[in-house]
Amino acid sequence: MKNQISALMDGELFEDEADILLDQVKRDANAHVDWAAYHLIGDVLRQPDYINSDISARVRERMQLEPTILAPRSRGLSQKVRNISLSAAASVMAFGVVAWMSAQIAPENNPQLATQKSNIRAASMKMQAQSNDYLMAHQEFSPTNDMDGGAAYIRTVAYSSEDKAQ
Amino acid sequence: MRLWLACCGLVFAMSQSFAEEGQANINWLKTIAFAGHQTEYAGIFVYQYGNHLETSRITHFVEVDSEYEKIESLDGPKREIVRHHGQVWSFLNHKMVQVDSQPGRGGFPSLLPEQISALGGNYTIKDLGNGTVAGFSAQILLFQPKDNLRYTRKFWVNSDTGLLVKAEVLSDKGKVVEQYAFTQLKIGGDLDRTAIINDRASSISSLSHVKSKDANAEISNSGWVVDAIPTGFKKLTEVKRPMRGKHSPVTQMVYSDGLSAISVFIELADSDEDDDIEGLTSRGALNLYHKVVDKHLYTVVGEVPPRTVMQVLDSIRYNGS
Repeated sequence: MKNQISALMDGELFEDEADILLDQVKRDANAHVDWAAYHLIGDVLRQPDYINSDISARVRERMQLEPTILAPRSRGLSQKVRNISLSAAASVMAFGVVAWMSAQIAPENNPQLATQKSNIRAASMKMQAQSNDYLMAHQEFSPTNDMDGGAAYIRTVAYSSEDKAQ
Repeated sequence: MRLWLACCGLVFAMSQSFAEEGQANINWLKTIAFAGHQTEYAGIFVYQYGNHLETSRITHFVEVDSEYEKIESLDGPKREIVRHHGQVWSFLNHKMVQVDSQPGRGGFPSLLPEQISALGGNYTIKDLGNGTVAGFSAQILLFQPKDNLRYTRKFWVNSDTGLLVKAEVLSDKGKVVEQYAFTQLKIGGDLDRTAIINDRASSISSLSHVKSKDANAEISNSGWVVDAIPTGFKKLTEVKRPMRGKHSPVTQMVYSDGLSAISVFIELADSDEDDDIEGLTSRGALNLYHKVVDKHLYTVVGEVPPRTVMQVLDSIRYNGS
């Protein structure tokens, strides 16, 4: 039976054979399960965006097995517990999303990001000495000379604590 | 029909008056630029950005064919800037050095007419009424950019002389990026020149040997282009200039929208030193961004937000042969 279902999905059965098989599958509950399983396997192998695997029935089943707590509790406490558990659930969810998002970013990007960051830091410390020359060269042409007069030049020589450190 | 015509007329009159008001405010800019060069004044101003504040003294004299101006820092280590005959001298690290000397730039840069007319296209200009700065009555003008690639400018202009007495640069979130304001100011009249003239004589004579003979920049067209320069920024010039500590001359291209300028520097990367120079630094409204691309060190400097210098740098390409 399983072999036949597999053959049918691969399009290897003749039309009349397929009709007979489909008839059997409709009536046989076990064949139903096999039919679904084979399709799921095929889907996973093809790696589509969406896989049709209905787990709601099983989830419902498991939920029904969970014991129902009927013992009464003080309202304030239960509210508090619920709030805590809700926020815990939310943070677990958020964590899940973050984890998922970081998994989406190709792992080789991460070291690159890290090195870029360190470069920027190195630059801002080292650049002070050299950057003044660029600022001066720029200032010469800037219309802020017209507007602010010489005060515009104060930017290029502004005394900052970083300069002092050098 | 008559009503419709009246409406049309009203709209037309409003747009006309609006345009006139914009033009009037743009004319203020011309006044500021003119007054900044042609007025004699001396005063003390504060300059503030972030949590940094400093006080400086400025003296500005007009001579027959030029201007003399000196700025001295009043706190922190001694720093001085002297501008005379279109040349800039700077006292830094215990010595006076000439910072630039551009051929054909005897005077100070001036706002070009086409830049002024382009301002209305990129900024909404508002008159915010009157205020007082350092005891001087001032007209307050606001230049609000139409995109987020430039800063908002607020100017306090002395109503009598046209001199700028206070200026603020604001971010797109309305935060003050930097400001500069006179706390004490004397305009025209009897200003004490003697100190300055003595100072000039001594400084220039001690300077002459510092000026190197190849310090002149030459106008060039290198074939470098910038694709993502914000609208309204016009290319003012392109020069090849020697720079301190650089083996070969540096190409500098300057763009301006009338209120701000963006300089693009391109040079061969010094493989040992420049490799780890990459990143953004800010000083008030000035942002500077460095990056090494294909063995070239790109540097973009401008009175524009960080995102703009980064956007400009990332769009530099070579279009020459």
